[in-house]
Amino acid sequence: MSVLEFRDIHRSYGHGQEVLSGATFSVEKGQVVGLLGKNGAGKTTLIHIAMGMLRAQSGRVRVLGLDPEKDAVEMKRRVGFVSEDQILPPAMRVKQVIGLHRDLYPGWDTELEGQLRQRFNFSDRARVKALSKGEARQVALLCAVAHRPELLILDEPAGGLDPAARREFLETSIDLLSDGGTSILFSSHYMSDVERMADRIVLLHDRDVLIDAELDTLRESYAVAVMPAEAGLQIGAISASPACLRIRERQGTLRGVFRGNAEEVRSLLERELAVQGASVAQVPLEELFVELLGGNS
Amino acid sequence: MQLQINPGDELPIYRQIMRQITDAIVGGHMKPGDKLASHRELAAQLVIAPLTVKKAYDELESEGLIHTQRGRGTFISEEPPVLRPAEARERLRDAARRLLTQARLSGVPYDDVTGLLEEIWEDMKP
Repeated sequence: MSVLEFRDIHRSYGHGQEVLSGATFSVEKGQVVGLLGKNGAGKTTLIHIAMGMLRAQSGRVRVLGLDPEKDAVEMKRRVGFVSEDQILPPAMRVKQVIGLHRDLYPGWDTELEGQLRQRFNFSDRARVKALSKGEARQVALLCAVAHRPELLILDEPAGGLDPAARREFLETSIDLLSDGGTSILFSSHYMSDVERMADRIVLLHDRDVLIDAELDTLRESYAVAVMPAEAGLQIGAISASPACLRIRERQGTLRGVFRGNAEEVRSLLERELAVQGASVAQVPLEELFVELLGGNS
Repeated sequence: MQLQINPGDELPIYRQIMRQITDAIVGGHMKPGDKLASHRELAAQLVIAPLTVKKAYDELESEGLIHTQRGRGTFISEEPPVLRPAEARERLRDAARRLLTQARLSGVPYDDVTGLLEEIWEDMKP
């Protein structure tokens, strides 16, 4: 069974500006899914819909088989949530915040709480407002995972953290994954973190899901081609190829993203599109992301 | 042996792990019977998802380079399988093409590439 399901989600904001138009994907048990997209692509909107903080205007959302609005209490008991702009009560002491969560969740794992406390360096007696950004995020993560959620939803969990705090956060998440059982949906702009953590990628673009693939498949079945932008080389003909996801001109070259490994793409360009002198390579996620979504079309 | 991965590499992480372990076996840095780190240990050490380690090990196991003994761990196999010459050549061709693409992209001339190959070949001699 899917632990998270979005089907045909539509959502507009006030003045009729559509943010999501038919977004559909699901997360299966045990998967770690990276939710990617440019700013404003609708990642946070989708996450808020899953958490019942926002309503989809149409479409179906199920979290662990539950309706996030109707079954809010049951759902929140089984899900953990951390976001970049999460606000913990500033005047409370860390100890009180954690205590509050401990009382709230029947499945609270005091042993895990102890392990995380040992690993993190915040002081129990400190007030939330006195914590650094990294420490506050650690408290939020502890509160989100110590009840052993079946699904962990992280919205830019490393946003605003320095590299050391980001790594610490990643290490903790990986330890939790090793313990098994948790499925994770996380949005991030740090492609290297996504490469380390995710086994599947969902890329939002233009109000919908543009790519939904296993990370390794994505890395090995898409290639970037750089071609000299000479006369006679027609952007139109190349972009008409079903294998071409995007092509654009940049600094005297044509750069395109194609479906297929480097070998397949090279042969497609040479044999079917008569393009000579193309350099084709499989590229890391960061470059793929930039080539797909960067600049102007 | 210390493995290192780079998320910004051209190869996906599981392939980087596979390549380093294969290199270590070929270069004699890992010997038959040597024990590999567990999924959990390697995942924590490299800060990557445990599933990625599992995938790399599974592939290496299906190639016969390593084997898992239930409850004991994963070990370098006694007799690494020998690839059929045609298959070995095909793999080398892929690797060579990648290397040359990289060289062209970075504007490194062909002679420098062959020079580099010789240098590394000398380094690898036992």
